[in-house]
Amino acid sequence: MGLFDLTDLVVERSLAGASQRQEVLANNLANANTAGFKRSDVDFESSLASALGSGNPAAAVAGVSFQPKVDNASPTQADGNNVNMETEMSGLTENAVEYETLTEIEKNRMAMLSSAIGGGA
Amino acid sequence: MGDMFGAIGISASGMAAERLRMDVTSDNLANADSTKGANGLPYQRQEVVLQAGGQSFSDALGNAQAGVQVSGIVNDPTPDRQVYDPGNPDANAQGYVTMPNVNTVTEMTDLITESRSYEADTQAMNTAKELYLKTLDVLR
Repeated sequence: MGLFDLTDLVVERSLAGASQRQEVLANNLANANTAGFKRSDVDFESSLASALGSGNPAAAVAGVSFQPKVDNASPTQADGNNVNMETEMSGLTENAVEYETLTEIEKNRMAMLSSAIGGGA
Repeated sequence: MGDMFGAIGISASGMAAERLRMDVTSDNLANADSTKGANGLPYQRQEVVLQAGGQSFSDALGNAQAGVQVSGIVNDPTPDRQVYDPGNPDANAQGYVTMPNVNTVTEMTDLITESRSYEADTQAMNTAKELYLKTLDVLR
């Protein structure tokens, strides 16, 4: 095993997923007044969960990619747009908290690693 | 893979689009009573048409989110208003003046929508910035 284990890999992929979700939700907001635009969202958590549940989690997690899904189910306005300000803003907040938690976890793991390297000195 | 600078750029495209919409709405409001434009006709209400960015094939393949772009500013084809005002120099033989097809109530509600959308884009941009700084924090 190298310096970084499966947990580090999962945290890294989750951060990538969360930053992609930030992009997708920001894109929804930017297109809040574009006629005919349909909102998208990324469910990176379930993609990661199924990768972790597979036979070879390390390889599956390393190779996981997240696809934004177009949401056709949300109520659509007269101009064909289904962006909902509240949904996007709460999604962004939720995503930001998740991202911060993940960076905090990775920070702690880095600190542990550096204290192990330094022999606790 | 997504990156934070992409998110900032997307929000910026939304802010630019909303700003342009605000400019056009202000222009409509300012000219709500302009009976003569440069072409001698009453002012015609204008509208900004937006389209989702990144329609190219490579973008579609990479699932890139490319913000919003302005596809054009078009004239509103709604008929002009006829107002009875015989004293107006632009009145016709019957005393009616052709006024621009601008409805101030529509413009005011548009203005509110535009300003709220702009704020939402600003908020999303701030979140992206904070997340980016958090990432730098891991390296400290």
